[in-house]
Amino acid sequence: MQHVKVPQDRIGVVIGDGGETMREIESRAEVRLDIDSESGSVAIDSVGDPVTGLAAPDIVRAIGRGFKPEVALSLLDNDMRMFDLIDIGEATRNKNDMKRQKGRLIGENGRTRQLMEELSGAHVVIYGSTLGIIGQPEEVETVRRAVGMILDGAPHGAVYSYLERKHNELSRGAQLSGSTEDF
Amino acid sequence: MSESEGDKWGIAHVHASFNNTLITVTDQTGAETIVKSSGGSVVKQNRDEASPYAAMQMAESIADEVKAAGIAGLHVRVRGPGGNGNKSPGPGAQATIRALARAGLEIGRIEDVTPIPHDGTRAPKNKRM
Repeated sequence: MQHVKVPQDRIGVVIGDGGETMREIESRAEVRLDIDSESGSVAIDSVGDPVTGLAAPDIVRAIGRGFKPEVALSLLDNDMRMFDLIDIGEATRNKNDMKRQKGRLIGENGRTRQLMEELSGAHVVIYGSTLGIIGQPEEVETVRRAVGMILDGAPHGAVYSYLERKHNELSRGAQLSGSTEDF
Repeated sequence: MSESEGDKWGIAHVHASFNNTLITVTDQTGAETIVKSSGGSVVKQNRDEASPYAAMQMAESIADEVKAAGIAGLHVRVRGPGGNGNKSPGPGAQATIRALARAGLEIGRIEDVTPIPHDGTRAPKNKRM
């Protein structure tokens, strides 16, 4: 039994049209969701295989942090897929600084965020004071580094070239059947 | 041992931090270690010790030895760094459990045993990412 808090405006997404999304999470992750739409608290009970149920809290949390249900459910697609959350509020000094850093992370017309997604292959969502990432471990690691660089004040150009370099590494690694650890 | 071979249970203690993953498999009392492994035994680079790939390889080799010891199922105790540090288990935890399950071991209870302070020492100051 686990509890996940979901913000008020995302509760509807967790439930979905007529409970559609909720039922899909329940059947695919073999869990039971008990959603309190007033307080925004979701209780997760594993009913089937505990190993498949392991991803359920992350799925609910991901939807709560602004991901589309389809993307959040991709966490079940393969074993390695992971969800990571970066708290921008924690890395910034005050509200104004957070606004500025969020703007830097998103970029002009969302260019920076979009480039992070395209070059790493992960999904990146900025919602409220958090930045969520869903993808393979090395993709998530790449985005995490890039976000860290931007929050540290690196110029966008430097971050883009880092992402570009990583993109080449990742796509080359995929051709060599993804063996990244034996070198 | 009074229990017949093949339906014995053990406990897999998985300590997953962001720098390493330690897996120790014990009998049900937790006093007798059957196998143990850590990230450094499967990867060369220090920074890869906590990676899910390392955890998978460790879990696979551990599963073989566990089965050889006549144990069919494992309860899992995951723990993160805990204390005043990070409360959530690192990337190796999920991977370990999945790999153990796929290697044909039955997974029983999964428990989170991260030490949570009842207000202990002061948390370290925030680090830049």
